[in-house]
Amino acid sequence: MTDVTITALPAAPLHALEIWSNPAEVAKRFEAATQFALPPTGRSSGSDALRLIRFEPTVWLVEGDPAGLADVLDGDGALTAIGGGIVRVRLSGPGWRSLLMEGGVFDAETPAFAPGCSAATIIDQVNVRLFVESDDACIAYVQLSYGADMIHFWEASAKTLP
Amino acid sequence: MSGPSRSFAGTINFTFDGKALQACEGDTLAAALLANGIGLVGRSFKYHRPRGIMTAGVEEPNALVTVGTGGRTEPNTRATDVFVYEGLVARSQNRWPSLRFDIGAVIGLFAKALPAGFYYKTFFGSAKRWMFYEYFIRRAAGLGNAPREADPDRFAQRAAFCDVLIVGAGPAGLKAALAAAEAGERVLLVEQDRVLAPSLLRDSEGLDANWADDVAVKIRANGGRILLRTTASGYWDHNFITLTQRLAEPGQEPADGLVQRLWHVRAARVVLATGAIERPLAFAHNDRPGVMLSQSVRSYLGRFCVLPGQRVVIATNNDDAYVTAAALRDAGAQVLAVLDTRPAPAGAESGFTIHNEALPLSTKGAAHHLTEVSARISGRVRHWQADLLVTSGGFTPVVHLHMQAGGAALDWDAAGQAFLPGSARQQVTSIGGAASAAPIGPTPAPDNPGKAFIDFQNDVTLGDVDLAWAEGYRSVEHLKRYTTLGMATDQGKLSNMAALGRLAERQGVAIPEAGLTTFRPPYTPVTMGLLAGPGAKQAGAHLRRLALYDVHQAKAPIWQPLGYWQRPRAYPHGSESLAEAALREARSVRQKVGMTDVSTLAKFEVTGPDAAALLELICATTVSKLAVGRGRYTFMLREDGFVFDDGTVWRMAENRYLLTSSTGGADRMAAHLSYVRQYLCPHLRVSVVNVQEHYAGIAVAGPSAKAVLAALIGAEPPRHMSTVPALIAGTPVLVLAASYSGERAFEIYIEASHAASVWAACEAEVAQQDGCFYGMEAMEFLRIEKGHLVVGGEIDGRLSPHDLALDRMLNKAGGYIGAQGLERPALREPGRRQLVGLEAIAGMIPEGAMLIANEGGSAEGHVTAAAFRVNDGRAIALAQLVNGFARTGEELLATSPTRGQRTRVRVVAPHFYDSSGERYRD
Repeated sequence: MTDVTITALPAAPLHALEIWSNPAEVAKRFEAATQFALPPTGRSSGSDALRLIRFEPTVWLVEGDPAGLADVLDGDGALTAIGGGIVRVRLSGPGWRSLLMEGGVFDAETPAFAPGCSAATIIDQVNVRLFVESDDACIAYVQLSYGADMIHFWEASAKTLP
Repeated sequence: MSGPSRSFAGTINFTFDGKALQACEGDTLAAALLANGIGLVGRSFKYHRPRGIMTAGVEEPNALVTVGTGGRTEPNTRATDVFVYEGLVARSQNRWPSLRFDIGAVIGLFAKALPAGFYYKTFFGSAKRWMFYEYFIRRAAGLGNAPREADPDRFAQRAAFCDVLIVGAGPAGLKAALAAAEAGERVLLVEQDRVLAPSLLRDSEGLDANWADDVAVKIRANGGRILLRTTASGYWDHNFITLTQRLAEPGQEPADGLVQRLWHVRAARVVLATGAIERPLAFAHNDRPGVMLSQSVRSYLGRFCVLPGQRVVIATNNDDAYVTAAALRDAGAQVLAVLDTRPAPAGAESGFTIHNEALPLSTKGAAHHLTEVSARISGRVRHWQADLLVTSGGFTPVVHLHMQAGGAALDWDAAGQAFLPGSARQQVTSIGGAASAAPIGPTPAPDNPGKAFIDFQNDVTLGDVDLAWAEGYRSVEHLKRYTTLGMATDQGKLSNMAALGRLAERQGVAIPEAGLTTFRPPYTPVTMGLLAGPGAKQAGAHLRRLALYDVHQAKAPIWQPLGYWQRPRAYPHGSESLAEAALREARSVRQKVGMTDVSTLAKFEVTGPDAAALLELICATTVSKLAVGRGRYTFMLREDGFVFDDGTVWRMAENRYLLTSSTGGADRMAAHLSYVRQYLCPHLRVSVVNVQEHYAGIAVAGPSAKAVLAALIGAEPPRHMSTVPALIAGTPVLVLAASYSGERAFEIYIEASHAASVWAACEAEVAQQDGCFYGMEAMEFLRIEKGHLVVGGEIDGRLSPHDLALDRMLNKAGGYIGAQGLERPALREPGRRQLVGLEAIAGMIPEGAMLIANEGGSAEGHVTAAAFRVNDGRAIALAQLVNGFARTGEELLATSPTRGQRTRVRVVAPHFYDSSGERYRD
């Protein structure tokens, strides 16, 4: 029985924010400007208008309007557009955790992978970034070239979850 | 069997060798065959001896059948490990013309001439002679045949994590799982059978009939997961265990298309409740249909209500077989005698006719059952007219997973004559029958070891072990390979202990000192498709589609896989062949204009005050001197000084660069950049972002390309190796004036989600100039003619910049990765392969061909890429050739023995078109 819905989300502005110097100062400037802190590894923070997910030790994915972030960086980092190469897919319904175990190597079924968490993993040989949107939904960020096949993979897998 | 052995009829229809039969719900194929009075199920691998059903589990060595039809055909399926379903089609194997009358059985008459090592002693000589022998050997010996059709069903792979994985849902496993689940642990319990605690259907052990189901309910209520028809097939490092789960029976059409699932499990700890396997006794003709293991007979009685024989002799060296004797008696069979290898008073109180210190001498049989069992009793040979001989030689705990887990050693239990799990370096424990062995009596040597089988699947006898010993094979590993003992699909589950016992006896040592062979995964055979997973039909990987995939698809191109990418190879018109289309497209580029999709090129944005410093490490050419808006060709070296990729670098702004590199090397380049950025230069103030897929790319090339660009951007296009931002169809684009074709050309980069409108605008303008699309085949013609390099062809990681004639472009200030490597004297010595061009003296040049000076000479190089001159069709090629720079004008032979092609070629410079670069200039 399928208890997960796979939805390809429309293209949206996505940026990579990388900090190369004075990270503590940048973090302070960031929090002052946005009213929320830069998320630590494995976490996300923000709102529907602007959300940041920590991708790498010095890199965050910025989803939403990045206006003002250049001032926050102030020469201590850079903002680079990457949205054209990423497909966002929402996996919603009670079965999303089980679905992510198909072809996976990451424990998406642990309660510790809670709303606000993020992860970088491999699903069926493909790099995928995950962000737990709520108890009932997770957003997967997939390279554009793999998008169609991954959506097909998830739709097929959703029909045969154990 | 001497006739139907179940009083009630089945309701499930199946066939065996074309004969329509009925089974009951829950029957294994073995149980159903026995219930239908069929005891002859297969023929042995080597001697074609008649074989029946010996066991009731996955250790079955004899009853191998082929099930299913078409692509679902599954050969070598154990009849004891497939549950009958409506319409099951089963066929016996390795027989002709029929199972009952098998011509191959004549081989058995010459068994004495075909002992262990027969192949090694007989079929020696040249490889060609072996190829001749092999044809006949493979037809004479073997198992089932794999289907020729593709498997129509899907396989899935899945991860699971748990605190404790319990393998085996017998009473011990269920109790362990319940305890862990009630303690709050994440529990995964797996059972290879389709029911929980199948042993309780054989022996209730005083437990209620619903006990297993009740325990399962409690385990699930505490969050535990239970998987049936699931076998732990391999135990790897870091408590990683692979499980193979059957969602449909072999040969059965799955309900939803998914036939098997491979689980990748990470467990904090593992409990092995895998039980024990009963061992047979070795005596002459112990392999006939009608010779069965004791506990399996109880399973057929208790679980399937099948009575495998009416007149029974029991041979044992332990007490457990007396339980079987009682069960047979209670089921109405006549127990004629119990032959117990132990001295009196063993078995004395059982109430059966006991013969102590006795072992069967031999058996005789009809097609489906025995007719006689003989034994020497007190020096006199006695005969029983029995149709079933039940044997028990003790029990072998299943320690396979323990040993795969890195079990440091096995403990020897002398009383049970069995190995028990010892210490382990992973978090694994064994419980129940897997960790204990009941005491047994002696196992006497048979009178006729040459007919006493120990490895039933590979027809290995005790006599073969003796022969190997006599011929000097002392190591158990050598013994295994010489005799093929333990190398069949059952991996010696029944045979290894008997062989070890015989080897130890010959060596005059205890069994543990004789050594052990390696326990390797998988525990039971695993379907190859399951290992390939859901991508089995796509070479194991998903396709990478271009952002403009649908646009191209509408033009009906010939697609070409390039790594995981699918790219248009050519766009044929009408009935054009690939070559015709590619040549037309290439000529359009040479004479007018063409456009192509270059989205797959690797692209990185490098930003920050230290961007140039980072790029001057990555690139072996200068970078920092580039003016804003300018670009240049560049290449990258490994630390050993060899070229591993090339591309272009563009200065987009004061502190912002775009680096492009090859499609095929894109992932490697991303890793290289990350390594340099994160580990070698964490101090640099720079950001490196992979934008390969963020930008789609369109190349416009040809004499009219400039006119096309001017119309598209409404301004003067940039000069060669310059870049400007622009708008096309209202979409922001980046225009790079760069060429890979030898013509004036531009690459247009657009955010991928907006690429379609820009492509459409380009298509319209190119059409205005009477141009066309071109695919990878035409691109290859063009770049070979111009002498451009390709990663994987000319750049194969073995040539230095000097070998590729790129050394003049090296950054003279040094400092780049690979600069030190280039100082190695070996890179300057003569005899290195160098890049050259080739012209055919006649005919085509085979790509990949060896270059030799004369017939019979050694290879001095190879053809890296071959094509035709676009305008006159003459064959040309690029090649690597020893001392190539100094051999211009020399004639060589390009030969490809595997394709039977050869051509005489002349060495020339590797530039066949516009070597001065005039056509780039306006």
